[in-house]
Amino acid sequence: MQGLVPAATDGNMATEFHNLQELRHSASLANKVFIQRDYSEGTTCRFQTKFPSELESRIERTLFEDTVKTLNNYYAEAEKIGGQSYLEGCLACATAYLIFLCMETRYEKVLKKIAKYIQEQNEKIYAPRGLLITDPIERGMRVIEISIYEDRGSSGSSSGSSSVSGSTAR
Amino acid sequence: MPGFSGGGVGGGVGGPASAPPRPFRPSRYVPVSAATTFLVGATTLFFCFTCPWLSVYFSSVIPIYIAVIFLFTLANFCMATFMDPGVFPRAEEDEDKEDDFRAPLYKTVEIKGIQVRMKWCSTCRFYRPPRCSHCSVCDNCVEDFDHHCPWVNNCIGRRNYRYFFLFLLSLTTHIMNVFGFGLVYVLHHRQQLDTPHAAVTMAVMCVAGLFFVPVAGLTGFHIVLVARGRTTNEQVTGKFRGGVNPFTNGCWRNISHVLCSSQAPRYMGRWRSPQAVEVQPPFLRPPLTEAQLEAKVLDNGIQNDRHSTRSKSSLDQMESQSADAEPPPPPKPELRYPGLPRADTEESSLLTEAPPTPSMYKYRPTYSSPGRNHTALSHPNKMIRGESLDSPSPSILQSSRQPSYRSEPSSLDGATVVGGGVGVRRGGGERGEGPGGPGGTAVGMSGGMSGHSLTGRSYTSYPSSLVLSTGGSRSSSLRSAHTAHNPLATLQSEGTTDTSYKSLANQTPRNGSLSYDSLLTPSESPEFESAAHELSPQKPRALFPSTTLTGQPEVVSPGSPLQGYTSPFLSAQIAQQREGQLLQGSATFSSPHRAYLRAVSPPPFSSSGPPEIQHLLHHNHDPSSRAFRNPSSSSSSPGARSLEPPVSPPPRGLSLGKSQSYIGEAGPQYKPRPTGGGTVLSGGGAGGGQQAPQSTSRPALANHTTSKPGGGVKKVTGVGGTTYEISV
Repeated sequence: MQGLVPAATDGNMATEFHNLQELRHSASLANKVFIQRDYSEGTTCRFQTKFPSELESRIERTLFEDTVKTLNNYYAEAEKIGGQSYLEGCLACATAYLIFLCMETRYEKVLKKIAKYIQEQNEKIYAPRGLLITDPIERGMRVIEISIYEDRGSSGSSSGSSSVSGSTAR
Repeated sequence: MPGFSGGGVGGGVGGPASAPPRPFRPSRYVPVSAATTFLVGATTLFFCFTCPWLSVYFSSVIPIYIAVIFLFTLANFCMATFMDPGVFPRAEEDEDKEDDFRAPLYKTVEIKGIQVRMKWCSTCRFYRPPRCSHCSVCDNCVEDFDHHCPWVNNCIGRRNYRYFFLFLLSLTTHIMNVFGFGLVYVLHHRQQLDTPHAAVTMAVMCVAGLFFVPVAGLTGFHIVLVARGRTTNEQVTGKFRGGVNPFTNGCWRNISHVLCSSQAPRYMGRWRSPQAVEVQPPFLRPPLTEAQLEAKVLDNGIQNDRHSTRSKSSLDQMESQSADAEPPPPPKPELRYPGLPRADTEESSLLTEAPPTPSMYKYRPTYSSPGRNHTALSHPNKMIRGESLDSPSPSILQSSRQPSYRSEPSSLDGATVVGGGVGVRRGGGERGEGPGGPGGTAVGMSGGMSGHSLTGRSYTSYPSSLVLSTGGSRSSSLRSAHTAHNPLATLQSEGTTDTSYKSLANQTPRNGSLSYDSLLTPSESPEFESAAHELSPQKPRALFPSTTLTGQPEVVSPGSPLQGYTSPFLSAQIAQQREGQLLQGSATFSSPHRAYLRAVSPPPFSSSGPPEIQHLLHHNHDPSSRAFRNPSSSSSSPGARSLEPPVSPPPRGLSLGKSQSYIGEAGPQYKPRPTGGGTVLSGGGAGGGQQAPQSTSRPALANHTTSKPGGGVKKVTGVGGTTYEISV
């Protein structure tokens, strides 16, 4: 849905806009690839770095693997059991868990970082290649969903003709 | 569990976005209200009547200490009650669009060297991650599912297990405090026991004393669980009894994981930030390497075709199949092969790597004549449909529902398990599975047919005929299994079974019918229904014609309570061992199946007997029906069976019991499959080592055989006084 150029409306008056739209290509969702979780080390959150075949012709292998590895590192950091998480737990107990109303947990903080990272990756790397990564948290952290878009070519031909007729009519 | 009580007033809670509104069930709130009342009421009385004297006589520190502990208990109680346990949102449509009819019911992953099965959840539409389970009361899949606690009226899962555990600890401490200080008061007022203060104190002491025993028991139980890194679900279903727990990191790490890890995030009700990134062509493309160019040339575009066919044609096919009763045309090659591992992509991408034809042969039993299927169609069709509607059918379904369909072994087992497949995915018991079940029986009935069907994978034998017969029946899987998928008619049934698995499962009503759920995964049911369910197998089995063949009504041995969940955690070693046994016995293509069947068949007969008895029973029925019974392979099967842990006791991983619950037929056999049997089967059939572990994990399916819906409900008291309803 993103990035789709709205179809030109018929019979509009603004022929100039239609002409411009003719030049724009539209992208439509062609397929989705799902990167599964890697459970080889237990239930800690990790995604498989195996390069899916559907992306063979769409993106370089190294870019993809970098993305997944960075995500894995983020999740490992979120789930790390260390001083900070322990103190957080103690503080929560001491305040009868009321602290959760005002404070953000460590995991949530890392999730925000992940969301930003994914956004940035999408903008810089994936969208220019017609791909889009969906944050795994939206899928219950079970898969990383990568949407593959296809170039549908120019969509302005029909509108162009109408606009042309419109313009000629005028 | 009150949760099972049917329908109440419809104004159900909306629940998460993806879940349908559930009817309001007031009986669900009785235990939690009682618990709250007792806790708050008794403590308040204690504070009012006993504490003033204590603060005067000893010091005011005592009431403060008791108050602090009480508040801590209350806080943990509220968190355990109101916190989302880790519910997974329902998967979206596109996550499994293509695999519906060919997807195996189980996918196997390896965790620290141990094979773990991930089951397809038909309600939530994804393969359940390890340790995830579907709660039938809440109708949600919960991450790291522990159990459904009626006292807090909530599931206990990854996010709130810590609070539940601390609640138990603090409640035990609180009860001891109240009882102890109440005793001090009473002992100091022995002469004034008729005063209201003393009377109230004694009453509070009684309540405290009464609750102390179950609460302390439950607390001790959970302390052990935390130390061992297990969930209640795993403990009760005996998953790790015979094997190794892959989820443990050592006692200290387990404890720190429970108590010190950061609060896990919730998946439901998250605010989705709108995607701000626009995708616009023209798109960059990576430069193709030489190898890739070459591959493209040689590829003949098959790879690309697969994508398109998979996404579009398969869908069309599925739709058409579900629409009419006629067997669908053979599916495209890439569509029919379900067995390949789909680890890399979600269900949508098929197993592009597997060459369809050779693997089909490899995994599918020889299905002799398509004609058979057709003949069976008319008859079984009726049976199946009829059966599916009745309660008995569930048993058949269950039996046929072999857990199978794991990704790799599934090719071997799953594919063939037409009948099994039917049962496998929670097809909603009677509904989806019906066709598979009765069909299987129908197959069994027809002598030659039975032999044929049985030979292949135990699953398929039934399913193929069943599937075919059910044909138009609801499960599209059946249909596809029947003919569509394989160009090879014989193998077709098997192939279709796979589909039947997922599609059948998906046919289950989305209300999370307990019956089916509990059937399939008793262990998953929050109240440990699995234990009970396993017992129930008896029911449906009778339907299965195969039983007639075997001459024995099948029953899931009630003796093995925890069949539902044979532990999928079988070490690879054992699996391979079993596989080796299988391979010995099966020389021919079909023989592995036979061996598989064989291993499976005994269970149906002897619900609770030890493997030897089963074996004897098994042989008794040999002449009757199993054409596929192969004397040579039989030897391997007993051996395989003997590997199984005793059936009666709660199944350990590969519970034999499961297989037992399975009615005699080949189809059902898949399910129960004792772990050994499962391994054997898989090994034999697939000829590949990997199958073995997976097949063993399948036994869990046996649980499914227990039919639940409408069955009697037995109340079982668990640790800590928690009661569980087990359908019998």
